[in-house]
Amino acid sequence: MLGEAEIFDRLSEAVVAGDTEAAVETAKEAIESGVDPVKAIENGLSRGARIVGDRFERLEIYLPELLIAAESMEAGLEILLAEIPKDKALRKGIVVCGTVKGDIHEIGKKIVAALLRANGFEVHDLGADVPTSRFVEEAGKVRADIIGLSALMSSTLGAQKDVIDYLQAVGMREKHIVMVGGGPTTQEWADQIGADGYARTAPDAVKLALELIKEKKERS
Amino acid sequence: MEKALTGRPCSERDYMLRVFAARLREIVKEHGIKYDSEAPIPSDNGLADDVFKAALDFFIEVGAYCKDTERIIKFDEDEIKEALRTAPSQVVFGEGRDAGTLIPRKPEDKTPPWCFLGAGGGPVSSEETFLSLVEGYASIPETNSITTPALTSVSGLRIRPKSPLEALGAIRNAVLAREATRRVGRQGLPIMNTLATAESATSLATALHPKYGLRASDGYMIAIMDPMIVDFDRLNKVCAVLSLGAPVGACFDPLMGGYSGGPEGTAVANVAHHFLAALAYQASWHLPFPLHIKYVCSSPPELLWAISMSGQAISRNTHLLSLNLNYTAAGPLTEMCLYETASAVMAAVVSGLSIEALGVATNKYEDRMTPMEPKFSAEVAHAVAGIKRNDASEIVKDLLAKYMDKIGDPPLGRKYQECFDVKRGKPSSEYVEIYNKVKGELEDLSVKFQR
Repeated sequence: MLGEAEIFDRLSEAVVAGDTEAAVETAKEAIESGVDPVKAIENGLSRGARIVGDRFERLEIYLPELLIAAESMEAGLEILLAEIPKDKALRKGIVVCGTVKGDIHEIGKKIVAALLRANGFEVHDLGADVPTSRFVEEAGKVRADIIGLSALMSSTLGAQKDVIDYLQAVGMREKHIVMVGGGPTTQEWADQIGADGYARTAPDAVKLALELIKEKKERS
Repeated sequence: MEKALTGRPCSERDYMLRVFAARLREIVKEHGIKYDSEAPIPSDNGLADDVFKAALDFFIEVGAYCKDTERIIKFDEDEIKEALRTAPSQVVFGEGRDAGTLIPRKPEDKTPPWCFLGAGGGPVSSEETFLSLVEGYASIPETNSITTPALTSVSGLRIRPKSPLEALGAIRNAVLAREATRRVGRQGLPIMNTLATAESATSLATALHPKYGLRASDGYMIAIMDPMIVDFDRLNKVCAVLSLGAPVGACFDPLMGGYSGGPEGTAVANVAHHFLAALAYQASWHLPFPLHIKYVCSSPPELLWAISMSGQAISRNTHLLSLNLNYTAAGPLTEMCLYETASAVMAAVVSGLSIEALGVATNKYEDRMTPMEPKFSAEVAHAVAGIKRNDASEIVKDLLAKYMDKIGDPPLGRKYQECFDVKRGKPSSEYVEIYNKVKGELEDLSVKFQR
């Protein structure tokens, strides 16, 4: 049977290698060995995810490796989280994200989703060309802290405003933090449409999400 | 279409990660393609031909993906070679004395590149700004065709995707662009991205009616999504443009750092996108614009290498009409923007490509573009046609040293209204000074401008 430190290393290595099978097997072994699942996530899976995130930031690895690592992390997480009582949940926050209606571009949003997951967020990625009401419904259903709206075209940017206006109209605006991003978005645009935050890059989006969640918790 | 309906079923995610990205990595290794950081503009003909062969093998094996049918579209070697053989080797754009012929070029070719000048679909805040900018672009002597900005609102309402506002925006875009060329007496100039505002096929078809001023002699750009993905909406655009008898231009932007991986994969993928465009879109002309995933511009050395390498692969092995579009990180009224432009234009022109210039400040900020940047691009493009790739590479290395330390946090400069007399269409004296300074620095590096 593996020791605790070895299990942490293997979990981390599985994420770095994008080896989903190894992530799942080691997560099961962690449980069988009586390793605290909270520690297994923090010192194993999350450590690996941070390594992958840093390598992607330096472009030592590319998007496919990042996305495959995120898949491995999710697979391991699913097993370990099932062992943690809900009141001890480790999630930094819940995010619903997608590319707005009329826009089919997803690469930027996928990077943000992968990095958010790697940093401990529960992410519900709705894909691309997402109808306005779908963001609102899903955010309500999963009690999302954050709604992340991506748009790549200047002609589709207006749909970010539509989601915020819709939230306002149905009385849900105060329940969710709204972050916007993607090619043509700017801080000026975010301010203009009443978004809570804008980030230029994916790592900035993670930092901003953590800050905004912290502020939200302090307020409530 | 039949191939899109009957190809191998595959999820989009599997196609992108386990088919496209995985095989591209292997193909690059198998063909021994290696990025050389010492030569941002490489001179190795053998390597260029290897990139072409790698792209051919890659495209035959991997094919493209249709989002709507969720199937892989494959072509065999004979089909690809036939498409390359029968693709137009020249296209006449425009009318009357403003008409011109886009022809293929070769590496180190003295033939002046086609200069497709303007805003590359960058966003503008008002119709007045749109008109004024396009008048400026049409007034540049080297302009062979216009690339317009994109309106972001119509009659004060922000454009919404797939809405009547988008269709109205596309119509307004066409009308204003033609009007701007009339105002400066170059009404025959072709507009090659007239419908920058038309994201949907419906909007494009709506604005194609001749009463809005578009012609079959204009160019019509239709996107292929990264990595080698098509959908029905874009294929419908192809049908609409071909039914007009107009030349389809395929634009594609394999992201370096994205599914294509590093510079080597980006170069191979960029070439493979040309094959897909010739086959699935019946493209008469091609508009690659590979960008850096982090900096969203064409300026880092790895990107210049990928532009040059893929350009040489295409121009040495085909007669396809290909123009590289570049994005800068920095904005107007900055030296960095002009250094970046000079680097990207040089990488394209000495490698056998023509140019579209340009997306300024990553093409995302409203009104952050002026006619000075495309004018500079055209002057550089004409000046470097015919110079040796080795010499261009040395010049580019000097230019890279001037801007790479700022690429992560570039100066955004000023908006059009802040560095131009919009009514008179004249740049501020401050901008003229910067323009001439950078031009002088290029002259010191042996670039011989024609005026």
